[in-house]
Amino acid sequence: MSDLLASALPSRARMRRTAPAVVSAVALAAMLAVCASLQSDVLSVGGLTLVLSATVPLVIAAQAQMALMSVGDIDLGIGNFVGLVTVVSATTLVSSPLVGALTLLGLVAAYALLGALIHLRRVPSLIATLGASFVWLGLGLFILPTPGGSTPEWLATFGSWQPAGFPAPLLPILVVALVVYLLTARSALGVRMRGLGSNPVALQRAGLRPLAARVIAYTVAGALGVVSGLVLASQTGGGDVSSASSYTLMTVAAVILGGGSFFGGSAVPWGVAIGGVTLGLVSVVLSLLDVQSNMQSAVQGVIVLAVLAGRVVVGKVLR
Amino acid sequence: MNIRAIVSRPWIWGFAAAVLVWAIIMAISGQGGGQTVSLALSLAPYLVIVGLGQMLVITAGPGNIDVSVAPIISLAGFASVGVAASTGSATVGVLAGVGVGVLVAVISTVAILGLSVPPIIATLAAGLVASSVTLTLANGFTAVPDPGLRELLNVRPAGIPVLAVAVAALTALVIVLLRRTVYGRSLIAVGQNRRAAERAGIPVARVIATTYLVSGALAGLTGALLAAYIAPSADLGTRYLLDSVAVVVIGGTLISGGRAVPVGVWGAGLFFILLDGLVNLVGWSTAAQNLLKGGLVLFVLFLAGGGDRAGGTASRFRRRPRPAAATTTTTGDNIHG
Repeated sequence: MSDLLASALPSRARMRRTAPAVVSAVALAAMLAVCASLQSDVLSVGGLTLVLSATVPLVIAAQAQMALMSVGDIDLGIGNFVGLVTVVSATTLVSSPLVGALTLLGLVAAYALLGALIHLRRVPSLIATLGASFVWLGLGLFILPTPGGSTPEWLATFGSWQPAGFPAPLLPILVVALVVYLLTARSALGVRMRGLGSNPVALQRAGLRPLAARVIAYTVAGALGVVSGLVLASQTGGGDVSSASSYTLMTVAAVILGGGSFFGGSAVPWGVAIGGVTLGLVSVVLSLLDVQSNMQSAVQGVIVLAVLAGRVVVGKVLR
Repeated sequence: MNIRAIVSRPWIWGFAAAVLVWAIIMAISGQGGGQTVSLALSLAPYLVIVGLGQMLVITAGPGNIDVSVAPIISLAGFASVGVAASTGSATVGVLAGVGVGVLVAVISTVAILGLSVPPIIATLAAGLVASSVTLTLANGFTAVPDPGLRELLNVRPAGIPVLAVAVAALTALVIVLLRRTVYGRSLIAVGQNRRAAERAGIPVARVIATTYLVSGALAGLTGALLAAYIAPSADLGTRYLLDSVAVVVIGGTLISGGRAVPVGVWGAGLFFILLDGLVNLVGWSTAAQNLLKGGLVLFVLFLAGGGDRAGGTASRFRRRPRPAAATTTTTGDNIHG
């Protein structure tokens, strides 16, 4: 009887794996509750749209970060990369859509090349992506020295799309999380990526090429970075290479909040979506609470630490 | 045939690159290079101080990085100038800057060791707290840097800034610290293999805590001096996050930890400062500056390559199955049958 009960419950290992995301989800629910108690309109469709829309590009960029962290790498250039994409979208993509689209494809290819070089030259991803972040910043400033430009019409239409039944920002968050889930957790490619993160030797012994796995991860990250930049551009209505510079570290925090790890081997797209929204909501809560804008980043830091401390406690209880 | 001997001294590359850039500057400007060197020596020490702290942190092993140096520099700038103005003593001001750096590092250390938060997140969170305090302090900040300290930082007997000599002494101190003290040897041991160091009885937690506190103190010192040299501002430290990591790596310190090259920080620091000078001389835009800097970091990195991934997989090799010979020994039983 107790055996039956035990098999009906999720396994301990599974609980330990999902616990971080659950802790983040609790934090998210708590923040939504605080928002709703302060301003009851937040829970309406319009309110949720307003609150969530700012988090969408961050969440998508966090999925890009997760793709790299699943192979055990870290991307310190994603913030400037997303900024560069907004610049391309505000300039070339408006004036000549074909060249713009090719440029964006080229940027994804550049990410794949970066991954290949990181693998072949055995250099730490941390430093290589840090160097690449200067390159993205330079390219962005080169194309558009001061913030400005406009948005392609189709992108602006997407940005201002307001369906009646549900908050529009939920759609990109869920669709991207689903795609990343299918890719990293359910497909053969995902097995290779996670295999590279958890045990590269085993991957090689299985006759699969670690180089291919790393290049795939970087390509996925580059493509998601482009999507994140396009969404950000659709919201801001222009391009600014430094508009997303805070994303670099925020995406890492979102992945950690969602249950990812620095050692690779795990892919947690749903957790990342929750972690990213949680981080993005912090500033909304703080402005509703009338916290001085000066103190917002401090509270953000403290909340990240508090959620991670909660994780440690939960992890100890489950052990 | 000497190539191997040169490559085995990883700090040589930073200096070689610095000399190359210096030669280009001389060729373009057509003036004596002495003034350029003097100027580089008066700007590089700030980068070297914060770089030395970052170097110690990176040496502590994979995953260790201090991303709070930039906010600490900005905060320490305001704190030191404010304290110096209210107490009238520049020394107390500098000490206040160092103290602020240590305080921020205490937050990171408690999070890293007490809550097992990954260092990049812990220092990020501590940095966010610091930058909030900075913004609050910056509001209506009127104090001006101590003129005495500023003069001292500008003194250049025979073209060599006093600060450069002091930081050279600090570098020598760090070398002695790493080679001759229990802490230094422990830090390198922890960086090479944390678990082995633990088993050997090294107090790993204490070593790591000390390392982050020293990095915070050095970043605070940088902020205090930089604010006196230029002026306190909220983005005083911004460029030093990326630059401090870059000079450590270009200087030859292993990013996977376990090998520190303090002299290399000087070479790479001079290289970065001279590169800025060259780009300004040519009149390139900030866009080109960034492209050049990023391209160079990537070029040096991919040219030098690294073997750090081999270190990560070495421990996994232990688990490979035993040689096939072990399974064939059972054939002996068949004789009786």
